[in-house]
Amino acid sequence: MIKKIKASTGEKILFIFLILLAITSFVFFYTIKNKCLFVDKIDLKKINFPNKNNIAIMNVECGMVIIELLPNLSPNSVERFKFFISNGDYDGSAFYRVIKNTLLQAGDLEFGNIENIDYFRVGSGKSKLGPINSEINITFEFNAGSVGLVRGDEFNTEDSEFFILLKDVPLFKGEYTPIGKVIYGLDALTKIKSSDKTEYVLRPDFLSDLKLLEQYN
Amino acid sequence: MRILFILLLIFQFNLLKADEINYLLKIPNLKTFSLNNKNGLKYLTAKKNFKIGVQSNISCNKLGEKNLDNKFSLIKRNLDIYDYEFLKKINLRFIVLCQNLYISKINTAGIPDLNKRTLILDLEFNEKHFERVIHHEVFHLIHDSFPEIFNEETWSNLNKKGFKYADCSTCTDKLGLDIYKNTDGFLTEYSKTIPSEDMAEVYSFLITDNKNLEKIKKIDPIIFKKAEFIESKIIKINNL
Repeated sequence: MIKKIKASTGEKILFIFLILLAITSFVFFYTIKNKCLFVDKIDLKKINFPNKNNIAIMNVECGMVIIELLPNLSPNSVERFKFFISNGDYDGSAFYRVIKNTLLQAGDLEFGNIENIDYFRVGSGKSKLGPINSEINITFEFNAGSVGLVRGDEFNTEDSEFFILLKDVPLFKGEYTPIGKVIYGLDALTKIKSSDKTEYVLRPDFLSDLKLLEQYN
Repeated sequence: MRILFILLLIFQFNLLKADEINYLLKIPNLKTFSLNNKNGLKYLTAKKNFKIGVQSNISCNKLGEKNLDNKFSLIKRNLDIYDYEFLKKINLRFIVLCQNLYISKINTAGIPDLNKRTLILDLEFNEKHFERVIHHEVFHLIHDSFPEIFNEETWSNLNKKGFKYADCSTCTDKLGLDIYKNTDGFLTEYSKTIPSEDMAEVYSFLITDNKNLEKIKKIDPIIFKKAEFIESKIIKINNL
């Protein structure tokens, strides 16, 4: 005769705990893991752009990011930026330098593309066009969504790299060349991979493509 | 296990938390203190100790709040005499305030960095001469921005024949900042180190103790020539 053994209270609690753990893991795996879950999708057809010639559209993992370019503030820099966009030079560019909830940097055409990323040299790459002069505007406020050209320690060293701010940074006023402003899709950028401890990201996220609005039509 | 834990702790402490200030200035552990100043100067303070430079040879410590409150108005009052255009010419934009500033284990009042347009100031450095020291350090930026104007050979020739400066400002123990009773061509002991420090000393007296300097100029012809030299060059920069 087999003696029936009753589960103790401790064993019952452990069993319930394991079931809860399994459910939580399941939820995390299928929902929370999807980092783009709560990012609003943008429909270009529903947006009426006042200045169609100066709109750039970036596609990242979590959706579309729409940037209004500012040629009135920085004519040469915006012209240069548009040139690289038109050429498709930014497609596959790595967000290799990311300060969590603060800033994303991409646009190293030499060492920072998905096809040829060089982790030892990314950030030191140059375009074939060489550096251009800074176009500093002492009144432009670098708020969340502002897009600026990256420079070295000195002014007049801007080239192809750019940064996008995820929060207001008043300290940057008068320090960088402003080239644009994200008008839709900043949420998608907050999902770009970052590290808590360092601004250089190992195995970074890449932007799929960056095009001008006119290239879409 | 214990070793692993210690290694993990060391690793955690060594990693710098990235932020926008470090992105711009390459100095970690700072926070903004005062940004909207008429002359465009931006003041930052150390929220934690930091180390920078080649082999981390520059270090400075977190500021006590009381220390900052006491000294900030004094620093601002002194730096407010420089207008936006002048500061732009001499490449000064950021003032980093901290305490116990060391470069290669030598305590120093300030460290100017022309490329980053930054002046790091030690708020604990020499209470007695603190105001003068601010302008002394500003002069180093003026000098570094216009080395051809402040020609060191021309300056050295203003001294008595046979006088020789030291090879570097820290190669000597002549570090006194008190003004000499009998100047004899040099305002302080520190003036005798190298030409740029001598110029910075004259400049700092011109700004903070001009009345006294005027008296000295009347009895010391070398100081007279040195003060005239600095004054004329500053006017030249102003008119550029």
